[in-house]
Amino acid sequence: MADFETSDDDYYGDDSLDGLDQEEDDLLWTPQRTPSSASKVITRASLLAAQREDLKRVTEMLTLKEHHARTLLIHHRWDVERLLAVLVEKGRDRLFTEAGIPILDAAHQASARSTSSIMCNICMEDISPNDVTTMDCGHCFCNDCWTEHFIIKIKEGESRRVRCMAHKCNAICDEAIIRNLVSVKDPEVAERFERFLLESYIEDNGKVKWCPSVPHCGNAIRIDGDSYCEVECTCGLQFCFRCSSEAHSPCSCLMWELWIKKCKDESETVNWLTVHTKPCPKCHKPVEKNGGCNLVTCLCGQYFCWLCGGATGRDHTWTGIAGHSCGRYKSDHNKVAERAKRDLNRYMHYHNRYKAHMDSMKRENKLRETVQATIATSESKDDGFRDYSWVTNGLNRLFRSRRVLSYSYPFAFYMFGDDLFKDDMTEEERQLKQNLFEDQQQQLEVTVERLSKFIEEKFDKLPEDKVKEIRMHIINLTVLVDTCCKNMYECIENDLLGLLQSTTHSIAPYTSKGIERASELSVCPDSDQILNSSKANDDDAHDPSWVSSAPGTDSEPRSEGQVSCASLDDNGCSSRKRAREETLGSLLFDLNLPAEVA
Amino acid sequence: MLDVSRVQKELVEIDRDKRISGVSITLHGDDISHLSGTISGPIETPYEGGTFQIDIQLPASYPFEPPKMQFLTKVWHPNISSQNGAICLDILKDQWSPALTLKTALLSLQALLSSPAPDDPQDAVVAQQYNQDYPTFVSTARYWTETFAKRSSLGIEEKVQKLVEMGFPESQVRTALETCGGDENLALEKLC
Repeated sequence: MADFETSDDDYYGDDSLDGLDQEEDDLLWTPQRTPSSASKVITRASLLAAQREDLKRVTEMLTLKEHHARTLLIHHRWDVERLLAVLVEKGRDRLFTEAGIPILDAAHQASARSTSSIMCNICMEDISPNDVTTMDCGHCFCNDCWTEHFIIKIKEGESRRVRCMAHKCNAICDEAIIRNLVSVKDPEVAERFERFLLESYIEDNGKVKWCPSVPHCGNAIRIDGDSYCEVECTCGLQFCFRCSSEAHSPCSCLMWELWIKKCKDESETVNWLTVHTKPCPKCHKPVEKNGGCNLVTCLCGQYFCWLCGGATGRDHTWTGIAGHSCGRYKSDHNKVAERAKRDLNRYMHYHNRYKAHMDSMKRENKLRETVQATIATSESKDDGFRDYSWVTNGLNRLFRSRRVLSYSYPFAFYMFGDDLFKDDMTEEERQLKQNLFEDQQQQLEVTVERLSKFIEEKFDKLPEDKVKEIRMHIINLTVLVDTCCKNMYECIENDLLGLLQSTTHSIAPYTSKGIERASELSVCPDSDQILNSSKANDDDAHDPSWVSSAPGTDSEPRSEGQVSCASLDDNGCSSRKRAREETLGSLLFDLNLPAEVA
Repeated sequence: MLDVSRVQKELVEIDRDKRISGVSITLHGDDISHLSGTISGPIETPYEGGTFQIDIQLPASYPFEPPKMQFLTKVWHPNISSQNGAICLDILKDQWSPALTLKTALLSLQALLSSPAPDDPQDAVVAQQYNQDYPTFVSTARYWTETFAKRSSLGIEEKVQKLVEMGFPESQVRTALETCGGDENLALEKLC
């Protein structure tokens, strides 16, 4: 590791590019986790641990039994803050009764117990007091009836809100009683109840979502903060947390939904239409040619020339249509507004570019292997370049920006189209904004292509000075691409979506480091976190060279993944500029200090 | 399996005070899961004097799931379909509790007849009329009660025929009868 640093220093020593030093941190590609990242992967094993914290907080604060705390949390969708707000606003009793937790009445229960035999109001039989159960609300029925009721409710998918059998009783039944009674009669249903109850933490929780992977990886993701974000599960799937479809920023969820639908519809019908039909110049409906000659009649009665699509009269000869000649080139013959065609052209324009960048990204994915192989051969040559992180950084930056670029086309399609924001801006405003955006987009596009070109160079076959030159270009372009992405997002968020009057349209923000990779939830989060962060500080202090070695590990998935652990890698790689921008907690800021010094 | 013993107990209970309650249940042959209920129209409502038949199907999990009830007698009411007699009542759906019985359900239907909930309608046409033109609603409901829920009184066709024989055009006779809630004397006054 120390060697790496020395060679790096040497390299800079005889290099005249001073400007580079300052940006050095920026070019190191950081793993896809921001220091502020607190997204967690919740697996089947950690599901209980994940909710333990919330349960503990509520049980302790309100001195409750755990099952009552769970009932409260389920009712308030696991939002502890909201639960506490209700407590303050409405008081403890209201909080409890609204959630279906009875306020205990011991006297009532005692009276139910005192008789020798009890009439169950459900089966209408006299039952021995040993075979009845009184719920917290005071309602007493026989165990057989309770069991039957529980099984039916569980099968109906009501596990999280099994209410008392009494009419108009709002009380939620004690989960322990349900568990005990049901497991005697039908262990399988009892197991299902258990699972449903645990999964409430995912199903009834705005901060947690199932990973949408197919086949399902079994994980759920918990985010911390704004729900407009994109995350990566440990199974590798990247998705939009908001709508659970693929990560699509800077497209908004609505735009993306419309786009996907449109692409699906259009690919089936419009492709066929464009190949086989032409729009009638009068009614604009697509017309299919069913005869040999080029004079076509639309159902609406309009005659037109199949070759040029222009309206004609009805007389024709074998060689031409009377009074019509379109064989001569005329530049202004599209006088009639062909709206359908224009719309289609517009869609195809955006779709082609969207598709082209997607395809590039797929091809560049293969490039990763090639590049890695090239690095391997170069490293074995031992010619002074020991650190090839600039290539991997550039490559990662390329993927990231390709993605942004690709999704920026459907974004533009809707931003400047008639579907969503027609009434939100005048034609002039729209034109102005479109120019503004397209400038940014074009800059990004050009820079990305240049970066792509340099990364494809077979630098292992080149002489050293040539490699230095490529390295220079890649390093510069990597930074430039990131800046272009940032600028484009700034334009989108501030000048386009930010100025909408009638609607609010939000997108997942751009992060230089890419889509946040959620880390596995540790079973004991509190102590681990402290442990790891102190470790991180130690590492910082004792091993300054890890700054340059960090990128070498960036593409490997992390299994130990703690937030603080992640920030250990991050802080070394993030730029000074970004450290200032993105540092949220003081802890992270502290962690960043040694990196700056180093 | 259907709790036969409970259903039998319920039937005995209903039979015991059917005179006071105004609701009764009869068996449909041997099948205890298919019953037929009867409720009398509540007084001081357009349904007064009518007797309403209700088809009752008990699911196998009764009483843990609600009985399925449907009006067999045609009735003009915002919460009851004028087409097929389907009922919109919370206790027959998600608010059902095993502690409720067939009797309480039928009594709830009776209560529903006296206090409609037009904001949660089953029949949008009726509900709209109830909200916008209450007098017409009342007379239509009364006409339907007269026509479909009264076995003892003269059938509507007979009334029509009687009035037509007096020399009034049939269409006018029908309109007059409808607006007067099936009362032939009032209709006659109107026609004269």
